[in-house]
Amino acid sequence: MLTPVLLLAAGAGALHAQTDYYARVGAVGASTLVRDVLVTEILVRQSIAPMLAMGASLPLSPSSRVGLEATLASGGFDAEQEGSESDLGTLRTASLLLGLDGPIRGSLRWRLGLGGILYWPSEDAGIFLEGGPVRFLAGAGLDWRKPVMTSWDLMVSGRYDFHRFSTDELERRGFTQAQAVSRVSLSVGLARAIR
Amino acid sequence: MSGPSRRSTMVLAGLAALACGEIAAPIRSDLYEWRLVTPSIPGPGVDTLSFHWDRGDLPVRIWVQDINDMPAHVQRAIQVWEAAFLYREFQATLVTDSTDADVIVLGGVSLAGLRSVRLPASAPECAGVTDLDIDVESSQLRLPIRVSVEPQAPPDDTGLETCLALTTIHEMGHAIGIFAHSPDPDDIMFTDPQVELPSTRDRQTAEAAYHTPPSLEVVRP
Repeated sequence: MLTPVLLLAAGAGALHAQTDYYARVGAVGASTLVRDVLVTEILVRQSIAPMLAMGASLPLSPSSRVGLEATLASGGFDAEQEGSESDLGTLRTASLLLGLDGPIRGSLRWRLGLGGILYWPSEDAGIFLEGGPVRFLAGAGLDWRKPVMTSWDLMVSGRYDFHRFSTDELERRGFTQAQAVSRVSLSVGLARAIR
Repeated sequence: MSGPSRRSTMVLAGLAALACGEIAAPIRSDLYEWRLVTPSIPGPGVDTLSFHWDRGDLPVRIWVQDINDMPAHVQRAIQVWEAAFLYREFQATLVTDSTDADVIVLGGVSLAGLRSVRLPASAPECAGVTDLDIDVESSQLRLPIRVSVEPQAPPDDTGLETCLALTTIHEMGHAIGIFAHSPDPDDIMFTDPQVELPSTRDRQTAEAAYHTPPSLEVVRP
């Protein structure tokens, strides 16, 4: 009876030893959310927003790993028409990507992932009158690490991801298709060293 | 190119292809005349006067008389018209000092004696009017805009609350800048409003009003 427990404990210990986890802070910028025409063109855009990223991964093969990465960002968004900007409030986003990563050269690693992004506006108003949407998200990125302490690495990451944006309110008003939104982020943090 | 590299290139090319594409905005062509057409001063013809609250004026300050449940009706009308816009073009708030208000809403008192343009609405149970103090010659709109919504049925009339609610939304439609009536009874801005909420046409008309340069200049007391 004790054997499975010991095996589980040993497995968990080994799993823990191979688990890579990290946290980073940085900034994310996104392309236009909505392109509308009311007499003249209106563009809804997010500001560059501070971002927090956290993730963990496990080995999948000798050279690749599988992991989850979550990000949180909070910034403003506005509508621009004929050079005049109107503040629309605060817009938070949360994303979760299930991804693979592997080595490129030296301390540089690639990353690819699929997941979702949640829009969480400060107020259910305007384009978010019916609430913030959850959209499918795909992303890729690069990680670079440098050992800085016995147990920790400095981690610098660049990410690109995209999704197709729309909201229930936009659809209710007759908007069709969805806006391709690209996001780029740069962040720096610490990752648990696996040596 | 190796197998993994080729696969990576194909994945990235696929992602780039998906990243293209734009949302398609609706064509908002179903609207009615919202501007106030008045005899031209001076000379023949007409002047077409338009107005909307400027971003710098937001939130519009509204004072409402505490009678006939009018504060609740006005609060509801504010929510309804705020929700008509996608980009927060209109926002309003209730204030307690009538001397500081951009819009004054009275419940049950007919206004008289103003040099004004009257935009009335009537139903069997209640009547509403919006008075705009406009100087056509100088293209000036003098604040405050004055709104009155008056019961014309006994308090226990089953249709009174509904009438007050939709008439308040109608009159607030004038106060936000729709200075004319819709010819369609399906619109809240029809002369004798029958529907309880703005239609798509009302909404598109309000959007057009807020994205067209106004010809009236606001003058505060």
